[in-house]
Amino acid sequence: MHKPGKSAYPVLAILAFMVLAPMIALLTVPGTSFIESESLAFWKSAYLRRVLIFSLWQAFLSTVLSISLALIVARAFARHGKFPYRSFILKLFGLPLVVPAVVAVFGIVSVFGSGGWIPLGRSLYGLNGILLAHIFFNLPLAVRLLLPAWQSIPKQHWKLAQQLGLNSWQQWKYLEWPALRENLPGVGVLVFMLCLTSFAVVLTLGGGPKSTTLEVAIYQSLRFDFEPSQAVVLAVLQFSLCAIVAMFSFRLQKLPEVEITSSSLQCPVDLKTLALNSIILLVAVTYVAMPILAMLVDALNGPILQVLMNPKLWRSAAFSLIIGLSAAMLSVLAAWLILQSSSDLYYIKQKRKAGYLEMVGSIVYVVPPLVIGTGLFVLIAPRFNVFDWAIPIVILVNAMMGLPFAIRSLGPTMRQNKMRYQRLCESLNLKGWDRFKTIDWPPLRKPIGLAMALVTALAMGDLGVIALFGTPETTTLPLLLYHQLSAYLMSEAAVTAAFLLGFCLLVFWLLEGLIGGGGDA
Amino acid sequence: MSRITQALIAVSCLLQFVNAYAGKQTLTIYTYDSFTSDWGPGPLVKKAFEEQCNCTLEFVGLEDGVALLSRLKLEAANTKADIVLGIDTNLTAEARATGLFEAHLISANNTTLPTVWNDQYFLPYDYGYFAFVYNKELLSNPPTSLKELVENADAPNILIQDPRTSTPGLGMLLWMKKVYGDDVSIAWKKLSKKIVTVSKGWSEAYGLFLKGEAPMVLSYTTSPAYHIIAEDDQRFAAASFVEGHYQQIEVAGLVASSKQKKLGREFLQFMMSEKFQSIIPTTNWMYPAALAPTKMPPAFKGLIKPSRSLLFDDSEIAANRKLWVNEWLEAMAE
Repeated sequence: MHKPGKSAYPVLAILAFMVLAPMIALLTVPGTSFIESESLAFWKSAYLRRVLIFSLWQAFLSTVLSISLALIVARAFARHGKFPYRSFILKLFGLPLVVPAVVAVFGIVSVFGSGGWIPLGRSLYGLNGILLAHIFFNLPLAVRLLLPAWQSIPKQHWKLAQQLGLNSWQQWKYLEWPALRENLPGVGVLVFMLCLTSFAVVLTLGGGPKSTTLEVAIYQSLRFDFEPSQAVVLAVLQFSLCAIVAMFSFRLQKLPEVEITSSSLQCPVDLKTLALNSIILLVAVTYVAMPILAMLVDALNGPILQVLMNPKLWRSAAFSLIIGLSAAMLSVLAAWLILQSSSDLYYIKQKRKAGYLEMVGSIVYVVPPLVIGTGLFVLIAPRFNVFDWAIPIVILVNAMMGLPFAIRSLGPTMRQNKMRYQRLCESLNLKGWDRFKTIDWPPLRKPIGLAMALVTALAMGDLGVIALFGTPETTTLPLLLYHQLSAYLMSEAAVTAAFLLGFCLLVFWLLEGLIGGGGDA
Repeated sequence: MSRITQALIAVSCLLQFVNAYAGKQTLTIYTYDSFTSDWGPGPLVKKAFEEQCNCTLEFVGLEDGVALLSRLKLEAANTKADIVLGIDTNLTAEARATGLFEAHLISANNTTLPTVWNDQYFLPYDYGYFAFVYNKELLSNPPTSLKELVENADAPNILIQDPRTSTPGLGMLLWMKKVYGDDVSIAWKKLSKKIVTVSKGWSEAYGLFLKGEAPMVLSYTTSPAYHIIAEDDQRFAAASFVEGHYQQIEVAGLVASSKQKKLGREFLQFMMSEKFQSIIPTTNWMYPAALAPTKMPPAFKGLIKPSRSLLFDDSEIAANRKLWVNEWLEAMAE
């Protein structure tokens, strides 16, 4: 009998420590305790109730819309293997993730604002704007994460479908949907988490305080109100809500019953479907490209040379890259260790336990970095020089925030590897490095490339934790961008934003190419 | 990763060592990061002060004045800061209440503020007024009072910031409170019809304004000076309101646990000098707190001058801020 590996547990223990220790530290900071009367009034307030309902409602709508649209787009992509610039478009689809919130808001407004290409006027501000922005962020991400599911459909199945003369709906029902059910809940939860914790986008495009998420309330408690314990309880609340949603959605997960063999899709399509798919792809690409294009137009009107000649830009880029790459390596390693255990558990049919392992690893994402960062600060500041610790902590927190992306990218392939090759490896007594090299690595290259690219990009676009520590002399690209914005230098900032995007695209291209070994997703 | 970190730590240790060897003291100043950025006053201030002090000036840039205060509360007596620079008069009462500051003992009689300054703990370095900025070519008849903006159905749409996350947002809240008092909720309800959106911070709102999302944005009376001086663009102006404009005064204070109070006071003294003060107008785009009007850049002379400067007592703000923010939230929720 195969014994499940235990590699997930130390990782989860570290994660638990990284979440719990800062929270406990924050609870010890003097401030109003959350059981005092003034604070009790807050917990009973209509305000908190509104914030809770709104957070969940907008996250739910954003997720449902992003995922359903992503399914349509990913299906069109999967069935249209030769769409022009397919591989470039898929790289482009990694970009929205790195766009700092404020830049994304400007991009969305350039497209849909009153002076935009598709002016929506004031109706942009409110739920409309929030949904438009969240689809911009999450549709491309979901497409990238869902697309591999189509490749897991065996070639023979398509052949059979063709022989049976199944129509498009029947193909969906009998071939594609079963393949997706493995992935979909996880991707759904990831998108839900991203939307639930959305802050500046929701506030600015939401039109006013009616559009307040829990994340805003947490920020407010830690900053203007300075009630760390209230922030901790709100963070726990947010975490619990997400855990409930995650648990519920994993009930919907279903693993493929049959042992599957890898194939590149050769789904037969007629001319009519081809045309329809082309239109779907064109619309999706246009939608994602428009705000990015708007940013580029702003940048082209800006003082390009002046910004590019600033040595600080390059120093910040290098610094961002170091942070991004380090965080990505840590994240991928942690994801790999967690998935080693969980795929063992899947192999011996302990599906629920496996699901929990992956879930715990993923949902640390919803603990606000501001809470983790501030808590760690409380722990470290009295004992050590915080500036020496700032960089490792920024890397660590970014690695944590990248973990759900890494788990989502690697998960399906690692599980399939286990199902397919475990018995073979046991009979050949193939272990350790030899096994990794010959069995695990070849199919994992692409997902690892994607995970490295996603987490690096995510960390490079992140402003959060580094701003919190305020280390002297160290600046990341997003921080530089914010400095420019707050110094009225909007057009310089536009150039920096475009540079950040270009830089991330390059990193994406390099990482996916070098690690993933070329080709597309 | 760890090697890079170690290398970075090693370099920073080395730098500290070099400084110690050269017998130079380091004065650490916590401030907000737009002060320390390349475009802010920070680099020029550092250069000017280091020329006269035989010391090293080190800035630690945090997000904003609020982040500065909460950082200080978290660190309490363990703070590395010798000076905290960048808290405004909306936060001074809370800052004083932490007990972490020491009286500055510096005379503030050369200030050019519209009001007399007699705070023992904090010294002002610049000030400004909140105002609605507009594009003269696109808006020919801006409202002439806050009342007109609130009550006239034809008044232009505006962009403001959120008082829960932004200092100008809080400034707007206090401005409305000062003018409307107990009737402020009704006024906010009326005004909310003209608010296109309430952004997280100043940058978002100002950026949206420049993109043409609304004819007016909450900013400072001094904002047009940036466009005139830095961009040679005369199109922007601030609307002058007859009720007066809410004032923001930015201050610095000496941290009680500092081991370099002498040097700290030297810096505060320097802060009130012409050298420091003349850096402020075209880097922080605010009015310096102690600079003769004749020394001001010409573009500042064309700016609107509020007939009255409105300011709450800082203790009143500390006592009521939460209440007023909740009042605002309730008014805006409908």
